[in-house]
Amino acid sequence: MKVRPGSSLRYLAVPLKVLFQRFAFLFLILTAFGLMLLSKAETVMVERVSNAVVDVVSPIMDVLSRPAASVNEAVHRVRELAALHSENERLRRENARLLAWQEAARRLAAQNQALSALLDFKPDPRASYIAARVIGESGGAFVRSMLVNAGKRDGIAKGQAVVTGDGLAGRIAAAGFRSARVLLITDINSRVPVTVESTGARGILAGDNSHQPKLVFLPANATVKIGDRLVTSGFGGVFPPGLPAGHVVADGDSGIRVQPHVPLDSLEFVRVVDYAGVWPQISDEEDAPLGPLRPVRAKRLAP
Amino acid sequence: MTDGLSQRLDRFARNLLPAFLSVILVLLSAVPFSIPGYGQVAANWALMAVVYWAVYRPELMPNVLAFALGLFLDILVGTPPGLNALLLVLARAAVVTQARVFRGTSFPVLWCGFALVALAAAMLTWLLSSALSLTALTPDPVLYQAGLTVALFPFLVWAQARLHNAVL
Repeated sequence: MKVRPGSSLRYLAVPLKVLFQRFAFLFLILTAFGLMLLSKAETVMVERVSNAVVDVVSPIMDVLSRPAASVNEAVHRVRELAALHSENERLRRENARLLAWQEAARRLAAQNQALSALLDFKPDPRASYIAARVIGESGGAFVRSMLVNAGKRDGIAKGQAVVTGDGLAGRIAAAGFRSARVLLITDINSRVPVTVESTGARGILAGDNSHQPKLVFLPANATVKIGDRLVTSGFGGVFPPGLPAGHVVADGDSGIRVQPHVPLDSLEFVRVVDYAGVWPQISDEEDAPLGPLRPVRAKRLAP
Repeated sequence: MTDGLSQRLDRFARNLLPAFLSVILVLLSAVPFSIPGYGQVAANWALMAVVYWAVYRPELMPNVLAFALGLFLDILVGTPPGLNALLLVLARAAVVTQARVFRGTSFPVLWCGFALVALAAAMLTWLLSSALSLTALTPDPVLYQAGLTVALFPFLVWAQARLHNAVL
């Protein structure tokens, strides 16, 4: 019988394969631990690789998130239809109320301009907005973040504030070329310098993965009431001052709890604040464009 | 006898099914469904896929693939990179070493086995997340997540088994 060259190697091949697999298993386990530690040290390399991977799949996520969004919108439409009459009534009342506010805002704007001119007041740095669609949400039990379909090419950079018409949603944690990760204000790693609107007391809005972040590091003599509104203080220079962040809902054993104004569970569009451009001007036109995408009740943004 | 090129290509393509399906499941894990609270207790589809293939076709779900899927999931959903990679490699190893118990048994036994794996994965997630964030996190979300994952496992097995029989 003719022995084919190399067949003797087969006796070795199986144990070698097993050995290799064992080695691969150990190697992968160690690599996983190494990666976790590296990411804990906020290594630039890990972040770059993550950004690159998310960039590659972001077009796919974009497509996948559309049907989900469409179904949500359809459900929402049907619900709206059911409540059309009462909604109409509510909007009529709100419109009347807002017209009064508009009048007040105009008067105050004029007064503010006159007084600022008198004082030679230096205005805040101006901010501009980049609109983005949410294409991915966190599937982790201990992470509150989401992916949006705008990145460095649209002018997004790490640290920028992310808002909707209702107020502050989070900040950019990592920016890829055409996608970015938003760290929501409820995440355990989120810390936002805020001011209690009524008293001016400064504190930090600290996320702890629950739905309602905590207000911490208030001055010892400061008091807060249920219902007090919190706005960003602008300390640290990352967030523009005055973005509404939430209101106090509980002051008990688990600290001062704050309900965010933004429905963080069901966001579809967000706007990223580039704190170097221009504030949107108050406009009389009904649909004055403030960004490349449909802004959600954008006029409430500049308080 | 060796197969022709087209046959080998055909088999190669069919053998990619586990990888392909698992990547899709990972992508679906990160799609926003806008259901309040779902994001935090979202079922771990990748774990189900890895366990399924580790039971029925372990050679098509190698360690490296399980690791890559986990890492991909970590990057997409923003968990610390390496966390899910570690879980999936460990889950695969646990199932493969107990292959004789799992394969050929009735579905309820497989389901119970999967429940154990899911629970262990949940506890490990909780431990590692707590260690990485240097705080004692509440374990509730991972337990809900494990519960949902175990509850949805039969649906995934049913769907994957149909595709498995059709393609492989």
